[in-house]
Amino acid sequence: MFYDRFPERPPPPSDSSLPVLRRCDAAVPVHLSPVQTWVETLERRDSKLLGLVDLHPDVFAVPTRIDILHEVELWQRNFKRISHAHTKVRSEVRGGGRKPWRQKGSGKARHGSIRSPIWRGGGVSHGPRGPTSFYYMLPMKVRVQGLKIALSSKLAQDYLHVVDTLNIPTPDPQYLMDLIRYRHWGESVLIVDAGEELPENILQATESLKTVNVIPAIGLNVHSMLKHEVLVLTLEAVKFLENKLLWHDERFTPLYPFKLPYTDLP
Amino acid sequence: MSFTKKPGGKALDILQNLPRITLANLRPEPGTKKAEKKRGRGQHGGNRSGRGHKGERQRGNRPRLGFEGGQTPFYLAIPKYGYNEGHSRRAQYQPLTLNRLQYLIDLGRIDPTQPIDLTQLVNGRGVTIQPQKRDYGVQLVGEGAGIFAAKVNIEVQMASEEAIAAIERNGGIVTTGFYDPRSLAVLCKPVPFFLSGQPIPKRMLPGEDMVPYYTDAANRGYLADPEKIQKARIALAQKYGYVLPDISKDELFHMLFMRKDPRQIFFGLSPGWVVNMTEKKILKPTDDKLLQYYNS
Repeated sequence: MFYDRFPERPPPPSDSSLPVLRRCDAAVPVHLSPVQTWVETLERRDSKLLGLVDLHPDVFAVPTRIDILHEVELWQRNFKRISHAHTKVRSEVRGGGRKPWRQKGSGKARHGSIRSPIWRGGGVSHGPRGPTSFYYMLPMKVRVQGLKIALSSKLAQDYLHVVDTLNIPTPDPQYLMDLIRYRHWGESVLIVDAGEELPENILQATESLKTVNVIPAIGLNVHSMLKHEVLVLTLEAVKFLENKLLWHDERFTPLYPFKLPYTDLP
Repeated sequence: MSFTKKPGGKALDILQNLPRITLANLRPEPGTKKAEKKRGRGQHGGNRSGRGHKGERQRGNRPRLGFEGGQTPFYLAIPKYGYNEGHSRRAQYQPLTLNRLQYLIDLGRIDPTQPIDLTQLVNGRGVTIQPQKRDYGVQLVGEGAGIFAAKVNIEVQMASEEAIAAIERNGGIVTTGFYDPRSLAVLCKPVPFFLSGQPIPKRMLPGEDMVPYYTDAANRGYLADPEKIQKARIALAQKYGYVLPDISKDELFHMLFMRKDPRQIFFGLSPGWVVNMTEKKILKPTDDKLLQYYNS
């Protein structure tokens, strides 16, 4: 629990009247209720809570499947991999066309070429051959489920924070480090915003920092989420992610690739 | 269930007390990854490496598949006959049962207040048509005629008599129309076709063998005489024993009587037009020769 890990910081009182800043856009299933978390601000170092936000349970409270996270992580590592290891076969090694000595009578073992795999300097029989690609695609819905599980596990283990905007007062990286240290967030932070245009201050502040990174919401992936300890989302990023991830629950199979226009594509 | 379930269940509760999920904590479900037996290595993969003992099996010299030691093999002993002659060139029609059509209408995937076309069926994922695999369209099959209760204006490529009776009994209209393979591909996947920037082709007329089918009023062919179709409707009602409802007094009369021109692929779009989806414009030809070709 939150207060078990940091006994010097008590949690905010649960009966404090914080306004709900955002309700779920999509319809929540009748048998589930939205999960809630606090909205913070990055303007000041001390954490003053602005309100609450409703998060859709089918994105932020899905049952945890570590094996799906494992599959998606392996896929992310391997689908881009092209191994350039290449060895020469006996026919490709320079030389070795002539029979080294006569078949019979020399007292030596019989050989046909000096580049056979038995010989020192000879070709490799079963070595890596040329650039090999390890490309494969996991089904789209498995990858989407992986994202949902990663978000849900971050929220369940208190590593998810929602922020209203990414406007910080100074482009100084030290301000961010102080803020993270004061609020006891963790060692590494991944900040996610919705659009491509991010505020200048936060871009400058995180440029030199290794453990704090800012990405647009389209770049969210399971590997980055697991590598960074803490995930910080803006309200627009929450809306964007819910919109994109919930569409896959109730969509038709593609007639033509999703790159081409569809009427109901988010 | 009157109470709401906790989203995520007990798993998320347990997760709060467990260590952080990191890249080091991921593992596959135990039992899913079985190590493969590497041939030629170890106690179980080595020794004879799964090849057996001596003979052609171990030495890799087995004869070809189908060889029976010299006896005339089965695949040569049986005489040839043209059962499957030209099977890959035969026209195929994907069946659409009335059960399935009712299911799609009930779920809201097909809109019965608009004319039902092959494009609407494919958009609602009711049927899957592969024009490249000699599919020539969809055929309406009479299974589920007993429970069918929807008034629709449907256009298919072939229809059984029972299916026609079931639809007309509910006050709908069936038409059978022919689409040549190129028009069918355009009809099934209109968006990639419009993005390619080609003008809409004109629909070709059926080949010699299918002309009698599409000019027959009993099949509600699109080339048949409308008066003969009306007589055929009355005759079918008498044969199956139902009262033919009067469509001309219906409120959706205009929609039910919408039919396509024999050379038209889409409602509202003529052959020769170019649709620009990005700029939402339609370009029409002005040249005389083109107009003459597309209007013929």
